[in-house]
Amino acid sequence: MSGRETVLITGAAGGLAGIAVANLADSYDLVGVDPRPLPKGKDFPGEFHVIDYQHRRMGEVFRSHRVDVLLHLGRIPVGARLRSSDRYDTNVLGTRNLLQLARRHGVSRIVVLSTFHVYGAHPHNPGHLLEDDPLRASQTFPELRDSIEMDNLARMFMLQNPSIHLQVLRPVHVVGATIQNYISQLLRNDFCPVLVGYDPLLQFIHESDLARAIRLSIESRRSGVYNVAGEGVISYKRAVDSAGAWAVPLPSALVYGALGTLSRFRLGFPKHLVDFFRYPAVVSDAAFRREHGYQPSISTIEALRSLRSLRAVVEPPHTAG
Amino acid sequence: MGWKKLLIELGLTDSEKRRIDDAQLDINSAGFDDWGLDPETLKAALAVTRWIYTDYFRVRASGLPHLPPGRVLLISNHGGQIPLDGMLIGMSMLLEARPARVVRGMIERWVPGLPFISSLFSKMGQIVGDVRNCRELLEKEQCVLVFPEGVRGSGKTIFQRYQLQRFGTGFVRLALETGTPIIPVAVVGCEEAYPSVTALKPIAKLLGAPYLPMTPFFPFLGPIGALPLPTQVTIDFGAPMVFQGDPDGPELEIEAMAAQVRDRIQAMVDDSIKRRGGKVFTGGAG
Repeated sequence: MSGRETVLITGAAGGLAGIAVANLADSYDLVGVDPRPLPKGKDFPGEFHVIDYQHRRMGEVFRSHRVDVLLHLGRIPVGARLRSSDRYDTNVLGTRNLLQLARRHGVSRIVVLSTFHVYGAHPHNPGHLLEDDPLRASQTFPELRDSIEMDNLARMFMLQNPSIHLQVLRPVHVVGATIQNYISQLLRNDFCPVLVGYDPLLQFIHESDLARAIRLSIESRRSGVYNVAGEGVISYKRAVDSAGAWAVPLPSALVYGALGTLSRFRLGFPKHLVDFFRYPAVVSDAAFRREHGYQPSISTIEALRSLRSLRAVVEPPHTAG
Repeated sequence: MGWKKLLIELGLTDSEKRRIDDAQLDINSAGFDDWGLDPETLKAALAVTRWIYTDYFRVRASGLPHLPPGRVLLISNHGGQIPLDGMLIGMSMLLEARPARVVRGMIERWVPGLPFISSLFSKMGQIVGDVRNCRELLEKEQCVLVFPEGVRGSGKTIFQRYQLQRFGTGFVRLALETGTPIIPVAVVGCEEAYPSVTALKPIAKLLGAPYLPMTPFFPFLGPIGALPLPTQVTIDFGAPMVFQGDPDGPELEIEAMAAQVRDRIQAMVDDSIKRRGGKVFTGGAG
C-alpha cells in the first residue's frame, strides 16, 4: 500500500472523526489517536492509540507511522465533563505538542478543526463575520479561552512555518444523525427552550458536508483560516421547528440563572452557547467556497431533519447497549 | 406560523403579495436571505401597518420611476423623534415601486441588543448601520436607506423642522467605492408629527439617550400624547446623483459631495413645503 499518504487523526474516538474517516479511508492510510478509548461497537479503519496529545509517547506515533497529514479534530468543547484545567491541557498543550511534532517529523499538511464559537455571539457582530474579525468570545465567556488559544496557536504556527500547509477550519453548528455535540443533542429533544423575545440567526452544516470540507482541506495545498458553513441562515425558532421539536419560551434571566447553578455541578448546557440563542454570530464562508470549490450538498432544512428522522434508527442500539 | 398567514390573507391583496414575492430577493430553502430577511414576516408586518401609510399619514409618493434597478442608496432628510420617515419610505417602496424593493435601513447599534425588536427588525430586512454591512449590501445589489443627519436629524425640535443638519460623509465614500447611484429623498410631514419643543439634552445625557423629546402633548397627555399627529406626508424621490472620485480622498472633497446631496434634498423639501402651503394636515390632498 505504499504511495498512499498517512493521515494522523486526533479525536479519533469521536463522532465527527467517524464521519471524516469514512470519507478518507478509501484513499489514505489512517492512524487514530484519542485520550478516550473507542466506544463499544465502533472500530477504527487503521491503527488506534489511546494517548494524551501532550504525552511524550506522541512522538513515537509520528515516528513509527511516517505521518504525512495531521488532522486535528480533537478539540475538547466547553461543557465536556472534564475539569477546565484538563481541557486546557488537551486543547492548548496538546495542540502545541502535536504541531511541534508535526514540524519535527516532516508532516506536509495540517488541518486544525476550530469552531465559529471563537467569534462569540455579540449584538455588535457584523452581518457576516470574516476570518480576520476579532475573536471576542472570551470577553463574555472566559471558559472559551482555551479554544481561542488553540486557534491562535495554529495560526501562529502557520505564519512561522510557511513550508507546511496549515488550515484552520471554523465550522458553524454541526448537525447530523450520528454527531453527539450539544446543539444536536438539544435539537433532538422533543422540547427546546427558546429565549423570550430573541430569535437570532443560526447556521448549520450537515456532518457529511463537513466531512467533505475536511477532505477538500486535506487535498488542497494551501494555508489559511476558513469559516465553513452550510447552505444559509435560519432563525433559531424555525430551526427548532424544522428539527421537529416544540419551542418552549423561557425568560432569559431564568435560563442564565439556572445554567449558572447547574454548571457549578458541571451539568446542563454550556452557558456560552446560550448567547448564541440571543445574539447573531453569522459567518461568511465565501473564502472557503471560492478557494476550495466547496458547495454544501445538504440544505439547512434537510440537515435539521436528519437529526430526528434517523434518530429512531440510530438510538435503539444505544439505549440497549 | 398560522397567524402570520392569516394576517397576510386579511391585510394584503393578491397583487401586493405577488409584488413582494417578485422583489429581487435571494431566499434560501429555510426561507431567509443572507441577512435574515424573512419575506413572510415582512408581508405580515405590511399587512398590519398598511393603514398607517394609506389612512393615517395618507402618504403621497412621487418620483419612484427615478429608481434605477440594482444597487442604490436612498438618502433622506430625517426628523420627528422616531424613524417614521424610514418606515414610510420602506412601505412606499413595497407598495408603490415597480418592481417592489425591500429597503435596508441602517439601524442603530444598540437595537440588536433589544428583545423582540431585534429579531423583528432583522426579519424585516433591517441591518445594523455598519460600514461593512452597508458595503456588502450594495455589492449584492440591495437598496439601502441612510439618514446622514443621524440623531442630529431625529432629535430636531419643531423650530428646526426641515432645516437639514450637517450630513455625515460615510455614505459618499461608500457610493464612490461601490459605484452606487444616490437617490435624494425628501420626506415632508414626518418632522411635524412629533412637535418636540425641546430635546432636554442635559437630562437625556444623564439617561444615556441622545435626546428626550417634549411635545405639547407628551409626556403630559400620557399615552395618547405619545401618538404622532396625523400630518399629511409626501415623499419625493429625486433623480439619481452619480459621483466620481477617490473613495479615500480628502475629507474636504467628500464633504463637498455630501453637501451637494444635502442641498439637493433641502431644495426638494422646500419645494414640497411650498406646494403644500400651510396645510400641514391636508396639504397633499388638494
